[in-house]
Amino acid sequence: MGGLSLGEKHFIQGGIAQDLRCDGRKRLAYRPIYVETGVIPQANGSARVRMGATDVIASVKAELGKPSLLQPDKGKVSIYIDCSSTAEPAFEGRGGDELATELSVALQRCLLGGKSGAGAGIDLSSLIVVEGKICWDLYIDGLVVSSDGNLLDALGASIKAALSNTGIPRVQVAAGTANDEQPEVDVSDEEFLQFDTSGVPVIVTLTKVGRHYIVDATSEEESQMSSAVSISVNRQGHICGITKRGGAALDPSIILDMISVAKHVSEQVINKLDSEIASAEAQEES
Amino acid sequence: MEKEIRGIQLPLSQTQKVRLKKALELLQSLSLKVNVDASVVVADTITVDHEDGVLKGHGTADLNGEVVATICGVVERVNKLVYVRALRSRYKPEVGDIVIGRVVEVAQKRWRLEINYCQDAVLMLSSMNMPDGVQRRRTAVDELNMRCIFEENDVVCAEVRGFQHDGLHLQARSRKYGKLTRGQLLTVSPYLVKRQKQHFHHLEEFGIDLILGCNGFIWVGEHIEATDDMVEDQVNQSDPQVLLPGKNSVSLEEQEKSYTTLETRKYICRAANAIRVLSTLGFNITLEIIKGIIDLSLSMNLDIHDMLGSEFCVLVAEKEAERRSSNKKKR
Repeated sequence: MGGLSLGEKHFIQGGIAQDLRCDGRKRLAYRPIYVETGVIPQANGSARVRMGATDVIASVKAELGKPSLLQPDKGKVSIYIDCSSTAEPAFEGRGGDELATELSVALQRCLLGGKSGAGAGIDLSSLIVVEGKICWDLYIDGLVVSSDGNLLDALGASIKAALSNTGIPRVQVAAGTANDEQPEVDVSDEEFLQFDTSGVPVIVTLTKVGRHYIVDATSEEESQMSSAVSISVNRQGHICGITKRGGAALDPSIILDMISVAKHVSEQVINKLDSEIASAEAQEES
Repeated sequence: MEKEIRGIQLPLSQTQKVRLKKALELLQSLSLKVNVDASVVVADTITVDHEDGVLKGHGTADLNGEVVATICGVVERVNKLVYVRALRSRYKPEVGDIVIGRVVEVAQKRWRLEINYCQDAVLMLSSMNMPDGVQRRRTAVDELNMRCIFEENDVVCAEVRGFQHDGLHLQARSRKYGKLTRGQLLTVSPYLVKRQKQHFHHLEEFGIDLILGCNGFIWVGEHIEATDDMVEDQVNQSDPQVLLPGKNSVSLEEQEKSYTTLETRKYICRAANAIRVLSTLGFNITLEIIKGIIDLSLSMNLDIHDMLGSEFCVLVAEKEAERRSSNKKKR
């Protein structure tokens, strides 16, 4: 994405001020979200989410591992994002690493909760097989295939979709092993357990341009932003995490205002996303 | 027929899929059948008369004495030369084309423009009409003031002048060419814009300008009288130093006053979305069809953003099939 001329910048800013953006959207309207699930057959769960020209894929891989000593009753989840150079030539080589790290950290904050694992969108205690010995490690990998702004929201949505697509194999633990030995396990390849994803939040990014803020900014609009606040909200309307990008400072009252707007917008997004995921799952089965 | 839909990336319901398929089938049946074997895919044999001698051009290769295509496209023959014109490729300039480009560099006596060609195009200072309208030698002062005319990232409309030793040259020797402001630039595949008599359109009923660049760059913006520009530029020229610092320090209130009016903006967005719909469907982009889509959306009282939804796309495909078949009957 190259730069914009003064005339175009002025036009974009004017559109946001007049509540009619370049593609005819209002300030608080999302682009249509399109979800496909099960796009990677090797993974335990995967999904592809498209919003306009933004295109991201997320996959979930589950492996048996050992829980950490500090939290013997919880599994582990890690999120990694990769920015493909097909999305933008600038991402080639190490060029996309900075953005990828920024996105990974933001997603970890929004979805994984605190260090203790409390408040996480994913219930970590459901990943335990034998307390202190065996647990499931979830590796969530995101790939940015094409980038047209609002990557964080799209990645959040794709991870939610991928998790609801994930099946964790049922594990039989062989009884009668000594306490200090690693128990033998039998991983079933027929029976799968579904995840409960109702607690996974969606991320709503509000981008501030001029004196107004917009949701689901395209990359052209993002180039005009002064700052952006990403708020993750779950189904109950509770805030799970907030991150801010961009250098410009914000008045606290504006942030509070943004939070209430994000809460309102997130209701529609969650409903839309859930219905899209359901129809994608139905399509996959047929 | 599944293959035709595959290229169109839209979330479609079952009934919409059936309707779109039907419309596309109708369009296919209406297209000319003459050139069916001229289009080739990779590894297709191209029939040639070996006795006349053949010059293999771009996109062809020799395989066991046969000429085969190495890219998907249309076979073109010029005397002995046989080559394949790729379907989806970058723009191939032809002399006299009207193109829209973005300035990437201001260099010695020239601007470099991105026009979706495999190299940057060159617009010389000497192939520009000076803002005062007088034909004269370009002085060193003119050269220093080049940024007053076009800056980096500016969107510029120009005409293809031809190939010179150092690449593709453009010219802008008329008042209608030049910098484009107050609007938005859309990019579509170049093959969707065909060469026509007229590429500059002023849609009077909507008060908007529409420029269809042959390179697939399309400008939709507020209508600006060409003559007004002249006066403004003369002011620029006489006193560039005064104007430049002012450009960045305009207060927010002043800026808001100079925004495009909401009424015009609605039409700009409607026209832009009409082009976006055509681009997703892969239909040729002409003024007539764009106007048709704008009128259709207005008559349906459709929200501007809903024009990008699948339902409207399917409707446009059906209307287009209808229009082409009625055109055919008239002939």
